[in-house]
Amino acid sequence: MNAQPTAPKITKESKNKIRVEFERTPLKERLKAKFINMAFLGDVIWYIFRLCLLIGIAYIVLFPFYSKISGSFMGKDDFVDVTVMLIPKNFSLDIYKFIIIENSYFTAFGNTLLLSVSTALIQTFICSVIAYGLAKFKFKGAKYVFAAVILTMVVPHQTLQLSMFMKFRFFDIFGITGLLSGHATVGNIEAINNILSKINIFPAEATSDMSTILKGIINDGAINLNNSYWPLIILSLTGIAFKNGLYIFMLRQFYRGVPDELEESAYMDGSGTFRTFLQIILPLSVPMMITVFLFAFSWQWTDDFYTTLFFTTNKTLLMPDVVAIPESLETTYAGASLYYSAIRNTCGLMIIFPLVIMYVFLQRYLVQGIERSGLTAD
Amino acid sequence: MTNNLQLNQTALASKTPVKKKKRKIASLDRKKARAGWFFVLPFVIGFIAVYLPIIFDSIKYSFCTIKIVSGEGFQTTFVGWQNYNEALFVDPNFVKTLITGLKELAFDVPAILLFSLFMAVMLNEKMAGRAIFRAIFFIPVILSTGIMESIDAQNIIEDMMSESDGIADGSGQSTATEIVSAIDIERLFANMSVGTELVTYVTTAINNIYDIVNRSGVQMLIFLAGLQSISPAIYESCQIDGATKWETFWKITFPMISPMILVNAIYTVIDSFTTDSNSVMKFIANKYTQANGQEISSAMSWMYFLIVILIIAAVAAIFSAYVFYQRKD
Repeated sequence: MNAQPTAPKITKESKNKIRVEFERTPLKERLKAKFINMAFLGDVIWYIFRLCLLIGIAYIVLFPFYSKISGSFMGKDDFVDVTVMLIPKNFSLDIYKFIIIENSYFTAFGNTLLLSVSTALIQTFICSVIAYGLAKFKFKGAKYVFAAVILTMVVPHQTLQLSMFMKFRFFDIFGITGLLSGHATVGNIEAINNILSKINIFPAEATSDMSTILKGIINDGAINLNNSYWPLIILSLTGIAFKNGLYIFMLRQFYRGVPDELEESAYMDGSGTFRTFLQIILPLSVPMMITVFLFAFSWQWTDDFYTTLFFTTNKTLLMPDVVAIPESLETTYAGASLYYSAIRNTCGLMIIFPLVIMYVFLQRYLVQGIERSGLTAD
Repeated sequence: MTNNLQLNQTALASKTPVKKKKRKIASLDRKKARAGWFFVLPFVIGFIAVYLPIIFDSIKYSFCTIKIVSGEGFQTTFVGWQNYNEALFVDPNFVKTLITGLKELAFDVPAILLFSLFMAVMLNEKMAGRAIFRAIFFIPVILSTGIMESIDAQNIIEDMMSESDGIADGSGQSTATEIVSAIDIERLFANMSVGTELVTYVTTAINNIYDIVNRSGVQMLIFLAGLQSISPAIYESCQIDGATKWETFWKITFPMISPMILVNAIYTVIDSFTTDSNSVMKFIANKYTQANGQEISSAMSWMYFLIVILIIAAVAAIFSAYVFYQRKD
């Protein structure tokens, strides 16, 4: 730096090419300038700090799963053995075996799969329709509809559990079934029976038993929809199910980011509003919809509020019913409480296992979907 | 712009002899309004036919006692403020739980907000393994809800397995093992003249880190989305002007993300008071299963709901005073 820089030498190599020769700073100096300064030091410290922090928090997230997994493979004796910490000594698959056999895991799995897939698909579609309507159309009352969406998000479901149970225990919209009850004749009953047998697509006990429903209509003037999938289907169809307000909000922000010109050009080409939505907008929003589907599916899958609220009998086994101690594993020995805890954990692991697989394949959409949304708060 | 243009066109068109047609041609705005209503129709129907009755019933039940009579459905008897009276003055634990719950809320919201903002800023930086870290951090959003939450609440096995020497706080939430002892942190803070409240806040936050991580997934996603929407050109110009990262964060990132902070603050308040692990919610859910407790639990949850609505309004009012909106045009 002290030395006077010599003027660069310019030689002409060919017609269009010149060569400039100048004295380069020695490598040592350049490395020094690059690496020995505060900014670089700060970067290195920040890098190390960040890495430690991220790894630490990743550990906090993953450790419970690891301890659950290792506990699930332990034999009974490992829980009283103080030398066994995280690696099972007596490897056994008993817990898994008995949960599958005695807690009828696969029945619950099938039922929950049907329920979760159907509600999640319905919710994803319905929420995108509603969100599109709120995002792209200016109409009187849109403000109030959006306020209503926010209201459904804000009111906690526990507040509504009693009235929700009652609503579906005695389901009766605008007194339609109440009217039927007064005039129930044999012909009427047959007609209703035919209609109901057509809409009976879910193999839940309550709906397949038509006479119960009819009895309910005649006696109470209302249908008992509990112990069937209908309450959750109805809630999903109308976009007021669990966390649907959040989905609508997320999708609405996404659709607001879609340029209007896209739709306008579609209208110019003679496409109607609904065709535009189905053919132009929906394909665009697939990453966002996968995100919503992932949320809806997994929150329905692990849900134990609505399922225990609406399914009061044990006729339809769902995932919450799996969490129990299998009879053949009941013991009275010293480590029983730990052992039971491990069994419950294993139940949990088996419940979330399909979600883990799904998450591995869909997690990139989760971040992408939200990143692309350009979610803004206005 | 385009709407107006088309509106003018339709206005022009209506002057020309289209009048002969009896059916009135709706303007584009009208058509769009109709289409808009059509799109939100499922929600409007559901809201009016199912949700509003449920809400009104819930309010009604909180003033009633209910008896299920076979043959006539169910009977409700109006009892006035009795349920509220019972919840507030007869039940010995409700008010206590309510106060603890609100304290929890006051603790959770800042902790979750700070943590998720910090993590979002970190996960937004370019680095090796970013995708893996993101995938790990969003695991709790998907997996630690509902059943898993209630299983975790009775999980004692982790105390045994983690070798930490800490004292179990017995609260039943999180892993119940202390990661840092309060004494270590207090020593650290002893020379800085900060209040003991702050010290206890920090230690509790660190000890509840599992809880906080578990519950800040959605907030992290929202913050990440917000960070992504900030134009890189602003950062570039800052860098050229010689701003450090610290300055850039406070002068650029923070104001630009402040609308997200408002959204997240409200979301966190809602989320943490509706979650099942919330002590008031637990109390109410417990009350619900007791004999004759259903109407009282209804009354309790309405009171709690009103309080939280007030808190949300306050939070929204405070935050929105400081929110910076970038002018787009």
